[in-house]
Amino acid sequence: MPHDSALTRIAVDGLSVRYDLQLERVISVREYAIRRLRGERFPTQTLWPLRDISFRVQAGESFGIVGRNGAGKSTLLKVIAGIVPPTMGRVEVRGNLSPLLELGAGFDMELTGRENIQLYGTLLGLRRRHLRDRIDAIADFAELTAFIDVPLKNYSSGMVARLAFAIATDSDPEILLVDEVLSVGDAPFQRKCEARLASFQERGVTVILVTHSLDLLLETCTRALLLEPGMPCVVGSAQEISTRYAERTGT
Amino acid sequence: MPGPDVTTAVYERTPPVWTGPGAPGRYFDLLHNLVTRAIKQRYKRSVLGFAWTMLNPLLTMVILSVVFSAVFGTLVPNYPLFVIIGLLAWNLFSLGSSQGLASVVDSGSLIRKVAVPKEMFPLAAVGANLVNFVFSLAPLLLMIFVMRVDITWAVLWVPYGVLLISLFTLGVALALATLNVFFRDVRYFYEAALLAWFYGTPIFYPIDVLSPNARMILQWNPMYVLVEVFRTPVYAGTAPNFWTVIVATVEAVGMAAIGWKIFRRHQARFVDYI
Repeated sequence: MPHDSALTRIAVDGLSVRYDLQLERVISVREYAIRRLRGERFPTQTLWPLRDISFRVQAGESFGIVGRNGAGKSTLLKVIAGIVPPTMGRVEVRGNLSPLLELGAGFDMELTGRENIQLYGTLLGLRRRHLRDRIDAIADFAELTAFIDVPLKNYSSGMVARLAFAIATDSDPEILLVDEVLSVGDAPFQRKCEARLASFQERGVTVILVTHSLDLLLETCTRALLLEPGMPCVVGSAQEISTRYAERTGT
Repeated sequence: MPGPDVTTAVYERTPPVWTGPGAPGRYFDLLHNLVTRAIKQRYKRSVLGFAWTMLNPLLTMVILSVVFSAVFGTLVPNYPLFVIIGLLAWNLFSLGSSQGLASVVDSGSLIRKVAVPKEMFPLAAVGANLVNFVFSLAPLLLMIFVMRVDITWAVLWVPYGVLLISLFTLGVALALATLNVFFRDVRYFYEAALLAWFYGTPIFYPIDVLSPNARMILQWNPMYVLVEVFRTPVYAGTAPNFWTVIVATVEAVGMAAIGWKIFRRHQARFVDYI
């Protein structure tokens, strides 16, 4: 698959996300009607997990996102993945995107491994035909060939995670969103995951990696974004960002 | 420059999930798998399994026939047949819309974690009930055979009637699924409303038994005309009345459009409320 290196895969311009958290959640029509009639207000607390974020990621680049807990890393990934809508600003994603966030969120524990490959695969936007052809390869990579017709409720959590990783990375993505999921399964399987990620990078797939680990950041990424609550975001080389992050966190 | 095979998604206020030339196929495959799952779930848990789809309308028909034959049996020839046709149409609507209502909230954990086109869940609920409906035609065919009712060319109207009922059901499902995200007691209100709606629709009684005033009010019940478009060709063997078809078409398409509009307008905020 050709990968044009001059192509901007992801462009984020002035992105802000606001959450309106209702302090007392009104979740019934009855309660809503009663409080309306009494003239009560519905207090909300406004949170801005992301404020004015801008960056660009080129095709073939590996881009890191670092920041402490609550800095908005997961929200940013969710916006890029199309789960959370931007409140302000603009996000442009060019190419097929494969999200490795919340692995296995679409699994149905009552269904077998084979049935879940179909269901989860189509949730990620893969075609049924493609999945049917790939079932054996997916099961093989997940090391679950012997258990593929067993319901997922009888799997261990490691087995479930392996299956999810195998499905999500089986497509031929142009962009990969990775949220520290490399801690999936046991050590040999982790090495397999890292090898697959490296082969994606070699093929010119754009990788966006959210991580706490500066070692992993320096090892895999060329550039990175540092998110800090209440501060403007900083984009720089992985080296710069890791130094800065280390200073901020005092490690 | 992006090549023609590059899918570009621009997220401003409403993130489009899948775009590009391959998108329709992806939506279709997801719908197929969601419908398959819904049908599997339904039959895995019950002992009678698949047979239940066919037995359920038959049993309800028997009960209604026994209870109301004395009242309506003389007015309506082949009363059990009249009842079962109406029941099948009603079940398609009531089950599809109430399951569609719950579908988005029930898929909440998925919607918070995967960029999935959310309208697929109500659509799959209606689709699964449509498949169910097709299987439940078996008892109807049995009745037609037992009661020796002639099938005429008018039966070609049946698919159109089913299409209209499905469209109307989808519209109601989309609108109520949206409301249910914000207010979780909507489904209890709707259950009560459905019961009233059932009695307000000529399923087990003919419209002739109503007073002229009641009939006037009934004109405003969309399910009345929708059931008619499906029932007349099978029960009477004649094409449905022209105006009935026109009104039913407008109501079905209109409801689908309204439901779709409501759903699309609010779906971006679902993730905050689910």
